[in-house]
Amino acid sequence: MTTPQAPWPAGGPQRGHEQDEAGDDPEEIAGLARERTSLAWTRTAISFAALGGVVLKANVLTGLIILAVVPVIWHLGRVTRGSVTGTSLSVIGPRRLFIIAVTIAAVALLCLIVAIFGQAVPGALR
Amino acid sequence: MSWSSRLAALLPGTVARDTGGTEPDPRFTFANERTFLAWSRTALALVVAGLGIVQLLPPFPRVPAGRHLLGVPLIALGAVLAVVAYTEWVRNQHALRRGEPLPQSIMPWILAATITGMAVISAIVLLISALG
Repeated sequence: MTTPQAPWPAGGPQRGHEQDEAGDDPEEIAGLARERTSLAWTRTAISFAALGGVVLKANVLTGLIILAVVPVIWHLGRVTRGSVTGTSLSVIGPRRLFIIAVTIAAVALLCLIVAIFGQAVPGALR
Repeated sequence: MSWSSRLAALLPGTVARDTGGTEPDPRFTFANERTFLAWSRTALALVVAGLGIVQLLPPFPRVPAGRHLLGVPLIALGAVLAVVAYTEWVRNQHALRRGEPLPQSIMPWILAATITGMAVISAIVLLISALG
């Protein structure tokens, strides 16, 4: 198995340290952290899809807009999947997360409009 | 610090140009990012819950506005939570770069206060619609 390439140029975990124990390699641990983060991005994209599905029931157009956001969110997580290397995480991090925060706020406002003015399905859970 | 300069400090461009301290261990950066994403999902779950209450629940007898009373605050909180999650991420990253202790987060407090408030409103709505 190849260890994912470290994204940091310098100043990251100490390189050149011999491995004390199996699994103690800082690069390997960073690889696992990267993988957990990648999974977190995937879960976030799935959450958007779930929200899109719910909204689709209330308002088709709004639902489709939210579903169209899903691939964008997944694409934003590409940094954690190792296809972008050599770029400092701190440079590309803020913009991606800012986009997520703004998107969720916008989607919440859309849902607020749908909730207040949309046609409720009376007793769909009855 | 004025409000406008505080807001400007939160913009992604400003954060990316932050060269104070040193680049933190990527594991910490990843952990901070996961925390932000977890809060984002919490925000999305609140929006789904709010929308589900308004759109799918049968109306409460005698409380015509009951569903909106429960659902609209949840959706609004989702928007607030997403924005606060980003500001917390910026603060954490700022502290990580400088090796400072992580700032106290207000998000659990916001969430707990809202859940308590929603529980109280739900109980009142249910009582009125059952007894009224």
